[in-house]
Amino acid sequence: MVKITLNHVYAVRDHWTLSASGTFDNGVHLVSGEVGSGKSTLALLMAGLFPVSGGNIENEDITTRMLSLQFPELHVTGLSVAEECASWGVAPAEILDAIGLAEKKELSPLSLSRGELKQLHLACVLEKDYDLLLLDEPFSSLDCEEKVKLCTRIGQKSQGVTVIFTHEQYILPRVHRIWEITEGILVDCGTPPGAFTNWRHLPPLIKKLTALGSRPDNISPDDFLEAVCRIRE
Amino acid sequence: MITVEFLCYRNLVIDALTIKPGITTIIGSNGSGKTTFLKLCAGIAVPDSGTLLIDDASPRETEIGWVNEFPDRNILFVNVFDEIASPLRFRKIPCDETDAKVSACAEEMGITHLLKRAVRDLSGGEKVLVSLAAALVHHPKVLILDEYDSHLDAQSLAKIEQGIRTSGAEYVIRCTQQMDTAVHSDYVLFFDSGRITHEGRPDLVFPFLKSTAYYPLLWGCRWSKSP
Repeated sequence: MVKITLNHVYAVRDHWTLSASGTFDNGVHLVSGEVGSGKSTLALLMAGLFPVSGGNIENEDITTRMLSLQFPELHVTGLSVAEECASWGVAPAEILDAIGLAEKKELSPLSLSRGELKQLHLACVLEKDYDLLLLDEPFSSLDCEEKVKLCTRIGQKSQGVTVIFTHEQYILPRVHRIWEITEGILVDCGTPPGAFTNWRHLPPLIKKLTALGSRPDNISPDDFLEAVCRIRE
Repeated sequence: MITVEFLCYRNLVIDALTIKPGITTIIGSNGSGKTTFLKLCAGIAVPDSGTLLIDDASPRETEIGWVNEFPDRNILFVNVFDEIASPLRFRKIPCDETDAKVSACAEEMGITHLLKRAVRDLSGGEKVLVSLAAALVHHPKVLILDEYDSHLDAQSLAKIEQGIRTSGAEYVIRCTQQMDTAVHSDYVLFFDSGRITHEGRPDLVFPFLKSTAYYPLLWGCRWSKSP
């Protein structure tokens, strides 16, 4: 079974340390935390791109992995939008048609709007299946409709470990497990909806619905609407 | 008033628009022209034709504070203190006064602990907070924020929202993809394919977007039982 286990891992930077223990198994995981709490560093650690100062990381059956960075321009290598697609090993025509950028295929990727560049980047990343997919702030820069589409796409993934590191509070996919980084420590909040009682960064809507006695089952907009319907009944 | 008349620039076309003092929020799909409009308001770009005036002056003659969603593109200095101090130093404000203003601004933004740090070691969200402090430290007349909120947690956002409202900026023009932030504005502009298709108070604009993903979730989840 595909999984990644952090055994008393800690990482040290100039001004803080991050400690993390836990197993991320098959499914979608959400990691939240305040600005500067170490979410991106944890993503780098899990990708093997940041040195572990102590403990170890065990990968089981993970042969392919991908880290999508917070800022999409850091991934750009192609001189044109079409070249950028090709650099990911995907066919430009199909991808660009799907995301409505076919007319911009000859332009520099850096001339796209931020949102368009993020769409392009995520479309290329999600075109392939990875055993471990790490998405650092995947919703930033996307418009609301694209956020919904991304949630659908993530929900369609049938296998592998997907970890979403995000501040997004409203448009999120259903997840299997919720984690958060608090005061330099990765905390396993558990599976929804039970995790809501331990989750310090609980989104405001879940807070409100729970206070009204109708706790949503998970964290997607559909779950929120279902909880609202229960109140109306 | 900010007045726009017969403006054309790239794919953006606005025949007439008036923005009153207060918080104006721009929403719309990726590539619809939101950032382009913000750049014109900031004087970073100049219209191909037509006019955009801020109280009858060009944006380039107006005190502007600008925050890019990708703060790395605007940050000039190696450490945080120098970055926040830069707008004051460029204006040749005395050192003592500069130091005091930077400290006060950092305190208000809750980033005093970052002042001695190197910018390159900051997280994405921390860089946005530093950029915002640099934009606010010289008390601009117009504060322009381009998706500043997409890398920030709820706690930082609440602090910033307070900072924006007490900044003294006469005009705040911001772009966001958080509709539950957009509802707390005086005016909303909805952009679609380079045109403004809806404008007005939030309670007048959002009903037009009810069947879309732009309708605020908190509004969509209004319930019959009172909280």
